[in-house]
Amino acid sequence: MLEQIVFYSLSALVLASALAVVLHRNTVHSSLFLGLSLAGVAGLFAALGADFIFAAQIMVYVSGVAVLVMFVVMLLGRASDLHLRQINERWMAALLVCGVAAVGLFKVARLHSATVATGAARPSTHDIGRLFLGEWLVPFELISLVLLAALLGAVFFTRTENAR
Amino acid sequence: MMTAPLTLSHYMIVAGLLFLIGVFGALTRRNIIGILMSIELMFNAANINLVAFDRFLHPEGVTGQALALFVMTVAAAEIVVGLALLLAIYRGTDTVYAEDFNLLKG
Amino acid sequence: MIEHAYLIPLIPFAASLIMMFGAKEDPHSPAPWIGIGAMAICLGLSVSILSAVAGGTVPLPYEHNWHWFSFAASIGGKSFLYDMPIGVLIDGPAAVLLVVVTLVSLMVQIYSVAYMHEDARYKRYFAFVSFFTASMLGLVVSSNILVGFMSWELMGLSSYLLIGFWFEKDGPTEAQKKAFMTTKLGDSGLYLALLFIFAKVGSFQITQIHQFINNGYMTGTVATVIAIGILFGAMGKSAQFPLFIWLPDAMEGPTPGSALIHAATMVAAGIFVVARLYFVFLAAPDAMLAAAWIGCLTAFMAAAMALVSYDIKRVLAFSTVSQLGFMMCALGVGGYTSGLFHLTTHAFFKALLFLGAGSVIHSVHTNDMRLMGGLSKKMPITFLTMGAAILAIAGIPGTSGYYSKDMILANIYYANQPIFWIMLGTALMTAFYMSRLFILTFWGDDRDHEKHHHAHESPFLITGPLVLLAFLALVSGYMLNRNELVYRLLEKPAISAPQAAHAPAAPADVHAAPPADAHAAAPVHEGGAAGHHEGHLPHWLHLALPFLVLGSIGFAFALYKGPRYALADGLKSTFAPAFRVLDRRWYLDDAFDLLVIFCDKVAAAAFWIDANVVDRVFVDGWGLLTRVFAEISNLIDALFVDRTVDGFGGLSLDLGVGLRGLVKEGQVQEYLMYVAIAFSLAATLILTR
Repeated sequence: MLEQIVFYSLSALVLASALAVVLHRNTVHSSLFLGLSLAGVAGLFAALGADFIFAAQIMVYVSGVAVLVMFVVMLLGRASDLHLRQINERWMAALLVCGVAAVGLFKVARLHSATVATGAARPSTHDIGRLFLGEWLVPFELISLVLLAALLGAVFFTRTENAR
Repeated sequence: MMTAPLTLSHYMIVAGLLFLIGVFGALTRRNIIGILMSIELMFNAANINLVAFDRFLHPEGVTGQALALFVMTVAAAEIVVGLALLLAIYRGTDTVYAEDFNLLKG
Repeated sequence: MIEHAYLIPLIPFAASLIMMFGAKEDPHSPAPWIGIGAMAICLGLSVSILSAVAGGTVPLPYEHNWHWFSFAASIGGKSFLYDMPIGVLIDGPAAVLLVVVTLVSLMVQIYSVAYMHEDARYKRYFAFVSFFTASMLGLVVSSNILVGFMSWELMGLSSYLLIGFWFEKDGPTEAQKKAFMTTKLGDSGLYLALLFIFAKVGSFQITQIHQFINNGYMTGTVATVIAIGILFGAMGKSAQFPLFIWLPDAMEGPTPGSALIHAATMVAAGIFVVARLYFVFLAAPDAMLAAAWIGCLTAFMAAAMALVSYDIKRVLAFSTVSQLGFMMCALGVGGYTSGLFHLTTHAFFKALLFLGAGSVIHSVHTNDMRLMGGLSKKMPITFLTMGAAILAIAGIPGTSGYYSKDMILANIYYANQPIFWIMLGTALMTAFYMSRLFILTFWGDDRDHEKHHHAHESPFLITGPLVLLAFLALVSGYMLNRNELVYRLLEKPAISAPQAAHAPAAPADVHAAPPADAHAAAPVHEGGAAGHHEGHLPHWLHLALPFLVLGSIGFAFALYKGPRYALADGLKSTFAPAFRVLDRRWYLDDAFDLLVIFCDKVAAAAFWIDANVVDRVFVDGWGLLTRVFAEISNLIDALFVDRTVDGFGGLSLDLGVGLRGLVKEGQVQEYLMYVAIAFSLAATLILTR
């Protein structure tokens, strides 16, 4: 029973704040709701028993990405001009597309309507560590290269003209 | 209904809805930051699915969670580069609205 | 050394890549020496292989294959596993050709160091030459005709690059296109032949095809079709009638490149492929006869054109075509040995002639023989070496051309008398036009004083290769002919059951069953040692031939030794129409133009029919019918349906405004929208079907 309550409340939080992210006129508020939504997703991870992912989600998304987005929103300043509508005139077509996709996704999801979790969730940090430094060592090292490239790219793009 | 046991399809529906909200945002937000945020939502939807699959279908391994970590890493890289690009574009064109960026126009 | 034969094409290939991509463009670049070094290594390898083959220390043919790929296919309900090895196959002709190609290429490259030194694309030229040679060597050593065909096409590509080397000018670009497309026309025949071979034999291995024919599995018709296809390829590459039109224009390339094309690589390839797959021809007497007549016709027509041309390179080009005709004709009448023998000797003296002509052009800066004359004192080494080549190609006893041409004529004499007399006339014409070239260029007085004054002997890098090639042009025939070495090296392949067309399910033990109707096979059956008598003309002809040649040369002297050319001019005005025909190259170019125009007209007519008949009657008529129906349905629509629809109008309007956003251009989200539409449709319609 507790499980269900947690799940439904977290889902409601995630979806509601996600809608707010997408629909809110004020971009600053949008970014705050993004943080909330991501935290809700972290809660869902916890409910699924993925403790390490939960921690990573909090650290990377809630305290990293969301804050970064907020910084940029405030840095640009103009992003919060409230008198302009923030949704373009294509919203109805987009709604149609989403509706069509929703039908498909719902049909797929229904395939697993009888799949329940077996056994108790267990801590996964130890196993993830073994996996990354054992079998998946090469992808693990490669992803660090991706991060390095992103770092360099970000530095490169944000340099001002006279700094070059 | 509220007391029925949680199944994989519950998580998939939540993830699907979150994904669709992200798609809607990416298609309709005029602000580029909004688009980037919507894309983050889509990444998270995918992660929910990965972790849920891991829990429900292969509880003995952690492969799904590890994959979710990779997705997270890529998403972080994406947002960093995206925001950097946004700053660079803003510096050049003084706008953050996607419809003003029509360099791709043929 | 023979187990390293696979290195021979690979080394120059690597060298060409290094030169192309690894070296900087610079007029004093040392890059050419990479190619020259590579070619010298290949020459060493080839010579050691040839000496092993000639000494009989290796069993022939030597074949070694590596696994390349294999694939399964199911045909008619049965599944097969095809294995496609890649490997080398060295037999006598291949060993000889390896030496010829590498030697000529080496000489050409050394020569080019001096000849091309002022060019802006110095190292690129050498990269092309190395690439060209590598392709040819690949064709020569390959045991798999698929690889051979790839080399063949690469050769077409490199000839394209080399002919159009000076692509700033219009002439070379036109010539390169012409050469490429004309040879492609022939290649398509070869390609069809290859497909046919694979469909029949199920393998591209030369030895397996030979075995297949030996077992008598191939019917005469199939063999004829395949042989004609191969002949088509050879007609394109080796410039046989009527596809020889590209070769005279190919003179627009650098002269040493022409030497390479004419002596060692391109044109030799066609003859070589015919020789390589000669057993197919042996099984198809009709195709052999066709080859003989095509060769004969080519030799005669080209020689006639050479009689009237004043461009020194053109004359040489026509003479190449003519000599190739000799080779093709020899192969056609069963003279395998003599044809390849002539290919070898011809490579030496034709390379020499081109390099000598290049030396002259380099010195006087013109191609027109009327502006030369009297160069013998200015350029003594070029004069002497060219003289040696002229003697060789004319067939003066003792020189290399004498031996090979004599053998060809003898083969033809015993096989087909009408062709023999035409070819004899052609041989005399050869002697005549080559002497004419020689006299006009070197003899007599200088006709253009300024050009003559500036003429000078070329540097050592140019004359060195000339001297070496002159030596070979003089003695190679004798060396190969001694002890009948040529018969051992270039031994004619035999097929054990030439006419076993009626026995598709031949018994496994084939050589136990002799051919049933031996007389039908007689014209093409020359059997190794017993056929040597065919290499010698009847005694009286053998003795008379040198005198005829000398007479022809003397005639040329009488006409062109100058200082006045009254006799030559008189002849020219007497036979003016004939001269015009020859000058227009038998109107073959015009014929091809007409063909193209004709095709164009046909296409235009088809288009007219399409536009006026099909479109008018069917499309427009259909449109009219539809419109009538549409009007009627529109009426019904307006009367009944629209009233109902009006209720939904408001909704549609909203949706329309929303959808109108779809048609703007250049918006990121626009594209994203399309992606989303595709994705949603895919997710809904396909994935969850």
